[in-house]
Amino acid sequence: MMNCDDAKRLLLDYLKQELTPEVTGEVREHLERCRPCEWHERFERNFQRLLETRLRGECCPDQLKQRIVEQLKGEK
Amino acid sequence: MSNSPARAAFDREILPQLDLLYRVALRYTHDPARAEDLVQDTMLKAYRAWDRYQPGTSPRAWLLAIMRNTFINQYRAAKRAPVPVDLDRLEAQPVYDAIEDSDPEGQFFSSIVDERILQALDALPAEFREVMVLSDIEGLPYAEIAEALDVPMGTVKSRLFRARRLMQQDLLEHAIEMGYIKPRSATP
Repeated sequence: MMNCDDAKRLLLDYLKQELTPEVTGEVREHLERCRPCEWHERFERNFQRLLETRLRGECCPDQLKQRIVEQLKGEK
Repeated sequence: MSNSPARAAFDREILPQLDLLYRVALRYTHDPARAEDLVQDTMLKAYRAWDRYQPGTSPRAWLLAIMRNTFINQYRAAKRAPVPVDLDRLEAQPVYDAIEDSDPEGQFFSSIVDERILQALDALPAEFREVMVLSDIEGLPYAEIAEALDVPMGTVKSRLFRARRLMQQDLLEHAIEMGYIKPRSATP
């Protein structure tokens, strides 16, 4: 059975879906029965969501896209 | 390669990456005009080097590696290289442990304005910031980030871990200052 130290060590990889399905299951199982670890997981997930939602809005300006397409047309 | 299958592959694989490329360029340069130049230079280089791209590998990682090298070379040429930071000496406190009692889910994050979040990100050492941008903001898997930055996966992980803590620490201090959250000593 996974303990809190193991869960803590694996938390970031869990969040990033970088663990094998088996280990992912073990972490999830631990989070389901350990309140502090579950909170910690939510905290880290909220932080990631903050970055995704607030800092991912910017797009490449259309005129830059246009300029690049034009420039590449001039290339062989 | 105009009108060739190679050109079609380039358009298919590379052009859709422009938004990602531009956002990452902004975090390298901190300046929209310079970010645009960096993206344009990168695209030209990528186009000219397209025959060296290995099909089946990540086009994003390939492109990001070109952009990173372009940026570093420009910095070197302009002698604007940032002062190297000893990353191992940067202490990153476990923020969650400090606020566990008062705000276990990190609600305070949502009170912080975009500009301040960006400021915290830009304040990170470049090596940490780039990993964070690619992982937390753009959602690239570790393997692609390792390829783009030409470092082992273990380095990606440890930088990301410490970058998150440093940034959380910065944002927590800000949130305390602004009164979004009470410091631990003030909680019963």
